Amino acid sequence: MVTVRLARMAMACRFELVLQGEHEPWLRAAGEEALREIERLEQMLSIFRPGSDVSRINARAAREPVRVNPTVFKWLEEAQRLHRQTGGAFDLTIAPLMQAWGFYEDGGCLPDAAELAAARRCTGMNLVELDTANRTVAFQREGMRLDFGAIGKGLAVDEAISILREAGVERAFLHGGTSTMYGLGRPFDEPGWKVVVPYPDRPAEPVGVVTLVDESLSVSAVWGKSFEAEGRTLGHVLDPVKGRPVQGAVLAAVVDPSGTVADAVSTALLVRGSPFENSAIRSLVIVVDDESDTYSILDAGLSADDHAVTRSAHS
Amino acid sequence: MTNLPEAGNLSRRSFLKKSSLVPITTVLAGLRSEKARADAFADDVNVAVIGFGSWGREVAATLERIPEVRLAAIVDTYSVMLTRAERSFPDAATYEDYRAVLDDASISTVLIATPTHLHHQIAIEALDAGKHVYVEAPMASTVEDARAMARAARDATDQIYQVGLLSRSHPNYRSVFQFIRSGALGKATMARAQWHAKESWRRASPNREREIAQNWRLDSDVSTGLIGEIGTHQIDPAMWFLAARPVSVAGFGQIMLWDDGRNVPDTIQTVFEFDNGVHMLYDATLTSSFDAAYDVYNGRDSSIMFRDNRAWMFKEVDAPLLGWEVYARKDNFYKETGIALVADATQLDAQDVDPTEDDPNLETPLWYALREFIDNHAFGPYPPSAGYEEGYRAAVVAVKAHEATMNNERIEYDDALFEI
Repeated sequence: MVTVRLARMAMACRFELVLQGEHEPWLRAAGEEALREIERLEQMLSIFRPGSDVSRINARAAREPVRVNPTVFKWLEEAQRLHRQTGGAFDLTIAPLMQAWGFYEDGGCLPDAAELAAARRCTGMNLVELDTANRTVAFQREGMRLDFGAIGKGLAVDEAISILREAGVERAFLHGGTSTMYGLGRPFDEPGWKVVVPYPDRPAEPVGVVTLVDESLSVSAVWGKSFEAEGRTLGHVLDPVKGRPVQGAVLAAVVDPSGTVADAVSTALLVRGSPFENSAIRSLVIVVDDESDTYSILDAGLSADDHAVTRSAHS
Repeated sequence: MTNLPEAGNLSRRSFLKKSSLVPITTVLAGLRSEKARADAFADDVNVAVIGFGSWGREVAATLERIPEVRLAAIVDTYSVMLTRAERSFPDAATYEDYRAVLDDASISTVLIATPTHLHHQIAIEALDAGKHVYVEAPMASTVEDARAMARAARDATDQIYQVGLLSRSHPNYRSVFQFIRSGALGKATMARAQWHAKESWRRASPNREREIAQNWRLDSDVSTGLIGEIGTHQIDPAMWFLAARPVSVAGFGQIMLWDDGRNVPDTIQTVFEFDNGVHMLYDATLTSSFDAAYDVYNGRDSSIMFRDNRAWMFKEVDAPLLGWEVYARKDNFYKETGIALVADATQLDAQDVDPTEDDPNLETPLWYALREFIDNHAFGPYPPSAGYEEGYRAAVVAVKAHEATMNNERIEYDDALFEI
């Protein structure tokens, strides 16, 4: 049994892939194809590449319906479905808001009131028209733009894993920037791929330990790009309905067989501030109370077998 | 432009008599309006993609974005690829044997993205079956195969035959071509290009037999090596820009990292000597990704660099002032300042797009090549910007350069080699 580790920079983070099997060159070849697939997705999804499928949609869809390839169309339909299922908390049309809040620049800034109002007017997945017959996408309003940031890694992980399965790989672990990951099969001599979700203030201590077998874990957090204003820290995760950075929730983790779903829902849970009740999706949300400087962990079965929502406060 | 549909009835030969030099630029420039273009197509073009590996999939995905195309069929000998095809392109029929497509009279056009050494038979049979043919570069893995294909394409005067030398259709390359030909380099003195990546180039499959077939790039009996599979796309623009042909190539090849039983080098260096005296260095490796890929053309007055299909000019201090560069976008590369060479800068301005920003209308290189190929169905056949002659020349150069890297030798390109 050999272990091969590969890594590639894509989507502004480091994707790392561990494969286990019998034959090293073979595992490497399979892993390389999976990582190339991730690079290909980045080419299609990036809003920073003028030639990408998403850039083309953004440049033209307010003027005319833009024909897209079946894969991109399938992703758009998936994003629309996730938008509905999360009550609008996950929304692809977040780009103008991200721009207004300066999160495409260095660390973000308070937006100009008029710019913010304009951005809010053209935010909403309901303003995106998908025409199945012609496979086109159109925006109802000028200024609308898509940003696949909250779902891109999930799509990439799912596509890469399907490449590995087709090649015949049975044991692998893939993560993108440690935020969206997938455990394929089981590691040699272990019951599953063990992942630790640490406490925000105690990196060495696990708030949850998740064992992944043929499923994905996605962790979204407000840290990363952020700035100080109005006496608080404003992070780069935006509430598409309120048009401002998420308050309260600082971390959300979601386990699902689909990396795409896990990725989108983890963002949606940050926006919502609590797990979906009565949902089959295993999740966990950490919410900070600024007044008392405490946080609560809302665990909906992420690391436990029961799916009940439990609450516990930590100082 | 209103009489353009009639042009579709002209044979290539009669079209050539009327105008041999202007076709592509005039036709494309007149087609800014998608409506005008769509009107010129009597019917959608029914196409088949033969070979559904990673590049074939890219070809199919790009064709799907061209409104006048109907992707009717996808062919691959490997069932896993056909499953992928069904998933990604549910409206296309799938076949294991390309002959099914050649026998289908409703399909006018095939795009060949199989392993290089399999192009020859498919392309010749496709031309014989009356199909228009787009074939990936290099168009063949031996000079004999390439010559047979070029002859067949030459004789099929009413059929389009385009080779996937993508830079030839790309607006940025076309714009720099004119720029260089108008003397921007001063006297061209040297060229250098590289492609660096860190990957094994191996493919994995659960099926042993399939795996051998998939790893044709590593099989010295059929592979054209790094210089053929990659370098072709960087050597061809040099021939085009410099209006020159190599007279010799010195090659070196090593297996430095992926010593897994292969005998095709993972690292190569080549020196091409062109008939105008300019020498070009080209190196490629699968062992290091540092500095990725780029091409540089040096001249007395300036150097021009391509990266990611974009171009920058670096002027010598003593070069004459051109005027416009004062207003152009500039990007810093360590201690050098590159002046961005943007195609259609005035057009961008007219569309209210700042020419100092990246062009939001920019398409992928493959899109431009396929757009040209499909347009040719309505307006041609006219000679494609990468037709059988360009394709043949590029294949000869690549095949011989690969031979040089396999044997660490210097090879002269006899004039007879280039005769079709």
